[in-house]
Amino acid sequence: MPEGHDCNAPNATSSFSGDACISELQEHLLPIANVGRIMKKVLPPNAKISKEAKETMQECASEFIGFITGEAADICHKDDRKSVNGDDICSAMKTLGLDYYGNAMKRYLIRYKEHEERASTSKLNRNTVIDIVDELSISKAGSSGRCPMNHPRG
Amino acid sequence: MAARKHVALPMQAGRYSSILVGGISGRTGPHALPLARIKRIMKRNSTAAGEASPRMISGEAPVVFSKACEMLIQELARRGWEAALRGKRRTLLKEDVAAAVARTDVFDFLLSVVEAEARPPPPPAAQ
Repeated sequence: MPEGHDCNAPNATSSFSGDACISELQEHLLPIANVGRIMKKVLPPNAKISKEAKETMQECASEFIGFITGEAADICHKDDRKSVNGDDICSAMKTLGLDYYGNAMKRYLIRYKEHEERASTSKLNRNTVIDIVDELSISKAGSSGRCPMNHPRG
Repeated sequence: MAARKHVALPMQAGRYSSILVGGISGRTGPHALPLARIKRIMKRNSTAAGEASPRMISGEAPVVFSKACEMLIQELARRGWEAALRGKRRTLLKEDVAAAVARTDVFDFLLSVVEAEARPPPPPAAQ
């Protein structure tokens, strides 16, 4: 357990998300509260999640980001480009065997860019809704408890 | 399936992440995970092989990761839950997350993470 400020301590002065208190040791991790919320959403209401499970999940998410970003940086380097963009992330995912993620994120990125384009050109308020749920079938299967992602073995 | 109504919120809350995940909390902004933190994590890993300095990161890249990490966390949580049920438990433990990683080939890159988490701390030095 790291010394120093504990974001989860009852007397901590951090915000709910934990993002306001960034100790050095937490900088490389996503906030545990956010991670916990995401996990809770796909589990049955009576499910409990141990703190260690959330911490492991934090580490997995950071490793995921790092692993893919490294590959994306190599893609950029080969293409002689300076900046890692969303398409590089999607390509990197597919290169690393995460085809489902790569394809889903490609669709998400297209919708996001369209949304940003509309928001900036028409000066609409930013409350326009994007129904990404229909785009990503994982969310449809989620409530049934089935895992829709069957990654090919080997 | 719940009806998807457009809800206008005072702050910039899109529906493509936070409401699906955390409800209308208004605490996470439009994304379920903080973009600045994601960008910081990316920066640590954005140096290409053979290069000295990290690359620049476009604004959309952390947005992609915000969604992708949601998906990853959800997949690992669901698979971990299956492991918990096999162990006849209603509490998701870190060993369940480890089992989910071990059973999914594409998550081999996470094996070192879950093994590090499982490793017991070194014994205190003898006097």
